Amino acid sequence: MGLKDGGFERKSKASDEIPSSSMADIAFLLLIFFMVTTVFRNERERPIDWPSAAATEQIDEKRDNILYVWLERNGDIYINDRLVPMDDVAAIVGPVWLESGQRLIISLRADSQVPYRFVDLVQEQLKRSGAVYVVFATDLERRMTAERR
Amino acid sequence: MAIMNKKSKVSDEIPSSSMADIAFLLLIFFLVTTVFPRDSGLRVVLPEEAEEVEVSQRNVLHLQIQPNGVVVVRYGDSEDEQQMTPSAIEAIWRSEVAQNPNLIAAVKTHPDAAHQHMIAVLDALQLAGAERISLQLLEET
Repeated sequence: MGLKDGGFERKSKASDEIPSSSMADIAFLLLIFFMVTTVFRNERERPIDWPSAAATEQIDEKRDNILYVWLERNGDIYINDRLVPMDDVAAIVGPVWLESGQRLIISLRADSQVPYRFVDLVQEQLKRSGAVYVVFATDLERRMTAERR
Repeated sequence: MAIMNKKSKVSDEIPSSSMADIAFLLLIFFLVTTVFPRDSGLRVVLPEEAEEVEVSQRNVLHLQIQPNGVVVVRYGDSEDEQQMTPSAIEAIWRSEVAQNPNLIAAVKTHPDAAHQHMIAVLDALQLAGAERISLQLLEET
């Protein structure tokens, strides 16, 4: 009799709930993990007026393989937060192009009102450096979808 | 005695059962509010530096972008020119490329034309599915 009761008692001591006391630790661990591994690009955005285009597409490329070339309204060029003279663009982009294994994508972020002569000069510089994959950075233009087809 | 009993029922620990909810809420909040920089635009592949290709004039559609944004369209070997807005080019390209699949769009932009005007034409061409596009500077005559 006593032995039977003891057996039942021992079984009932095991809790049938999933222990949730460590759930907070798990969640905070995830939170801290994501905070630590998030890499922010420390490059500042130049104040430009973005051109818009309806055919804008997303660029699926690792961020390390994208180089931003900023072209302001007065023709100033900024690469990595530094003002670069027009004639030095090829010399700066060339090594980056080779380092990336010839996969580098140039995101040309030109002001919508910049005269085209500057855009053409930048293209000539990029051709000289060898970087041929260029994206004219644009904002997606919202139009009626009926108009697109 | 009754009062003493009631007091002892109140737990003197900080309730930690909702801590997980708080942490997950923070996690989800930061996941949702993280904005990734927009990497979007119009893709083009520039020609290699030494690359000069002779193209028959019959296969070229000249698009000359004027400083005011008006586009002058001229078919390779003909003399007559048409003026139009960038948005009209999409339809033109579709009808022309149906007749001649080897057609090349030669986009010649005036040096003083705003970048947006060139983007508008490039946009129309890419919407129409054009792949053979040449970007040039319009030589002043």
